[in-house]
Amino acid sequence: MNISKIANLKFFFTNTKNLSKFLGLFTFILFFCGIYWGLFVAPSDYLQGESYRIMYLHVPAAWLSLQVYMFMAITGFVSLVWKVKIMEIISIQCAPIGAYFTLIALVTGMVWGKPTWGTYWVWDARLTSELILLFLYIGVIALYSAFSDKRQAVKITSLLAIVGLVNIPIIHYSVEWWNTLHQGPSVTKFEQPSMHISMLLPLLYMFLVFNVYFIAVLIKRVQLGIYNREKRSKWMEDYLSD
Amino acid sequence: MVKNIIYKEFKGYFRNLNSIFLPLIFFFLIISIFPLLVGPDKNLLNKIIPGIVWITIIFTTVLSSNNFFKDEYNDGFIETYLTSDTSIELILFFKILLCWIFTCLPIIFFIPIVSIFFDIPLKNSFVILFTLIVGSPILVSIGIFGSSLTLGMSKNNVLAPVITLPFYIPILIFSASAIESVSSGLPYEMQLYILMALLFFILPIMPYLLKYTLTLSINN
Repeated sequence: MNISKIANLKFFFTNTKNLSKFLGLFTFILFFCGIYWGLFVAPSDYLQGESYRIMYLHVPAAWLSLQVYMFMAITGFVSLVWKVKIMEIISIQCAPIGAYFTLIALVTGMVWGKPTWGTYWVWDARLTSELILLFLYIGVIALYSAFSDKRQAVKITSLLAIVGLVNIPIIHYSVEWWNTLHQGPSVTKFEQPSMHISMLLPLLYMFLVFNVYFIAVLIKRVQLGIYNREKRSKWMEDYLSD
Repeated sequence: MVKNIIYKEFKGYFRNLNSIFLPLIFFFLIISIFPLLVGPDKNLLNKIIPGIVWITIIFTTVLSSNNFFKDEYNDGFIETYLTSDTSIELILFFKILLCWIFTCLPIIFFIPIVSIFFDIPLKNSFVILFTLIVGSPILVSIGIFGSSLTLGMSKNNVLAPVITLPFYIPILIFSASAIESVSSGLPYEMQLYILMALLFFILPIMPYLLKYTLTLSINN
């Protein structure tokens, strides 16, 4: 099977329906296994007690938030350079998913921060750059929704995503640098000791689960995107009337 | 051709002297509102004045660069630039420069007066001045990039700032920290070098980026 066939909108739409269902169910099962592993099987932390367990949601969400942005920018680049239609849809559909992951990472981080740091929010380097990442996502989504011509919108937002990808390291390191200049050891003294393997394994497993979840949701959203773009075309009407 | 366009642009700014004075008045208004809000405590004001100056510069650049290409887009000038054989990159570069000269430079000239109002030592005032000279062209060019992304959307006035403000953050961080370092007697040169590096990285590639964005926006 060659790439151009998979990249065909019609082929993708008509062939991934069962795949997304299967992946959704698969994620559901994997997720509960991971939650059980993380919440009940993994040992509790000697310093933070049980409250560290939110890490099994927080850390994969934070990793995914960056990974999805990278994925969005790279697919956006591919769509700009090689004008692959499906990449345009994939790229823009990544944005809301990534924004949700960022939001999950921020909220779970705040929930974890209350018992550990005594406050929901500190202007810590990582928290701040995660917040800025959320703003970058919101910018992409806002720019996309402001256009009435969606093909045009995708081109412009891919460009914004690529520029954002170049900027993320600069923003991240400047924020990190800003923080080390401003703040005393109130945050760094909570520095984690290196993790034991019995805690690390569920974490990596959850990261895998989040990836599967991302792919499942992405396929579903791409189907929706294809439907919105092609709903007036002949093949879509034929397919839906069958 | 390029010379004529730039000259026309220059004359346009000069005919409308409001475009020089109003940002300046705006700047002084914001600056004088802050003491009313946080109280006239001299130490506090001295500590937060760099932040105030930078917030005001952000407002000014956002306001001035928001509808930067609007008239030219409506008149069809951008298509003409893109299809003509003149170097649009050069035109864009000078447009950025002129926008900076007529909106930010007047404010930078008046920084010494602000330092008198807020009793800032001469050395600190020089560092504020330097960060503004180096940092504000970057802000202007990023703002213009934002306005080129939202080309042709007359309704959305807040969209371009929402998109571009996250990109301002590194510049703001290094400027603020240079000012803070000099006011607490620490070395501040490194931040200035980083700012200059950012300027010489962003300013040369910006015309090319703008040209690409404009082509994307026009080729509908």
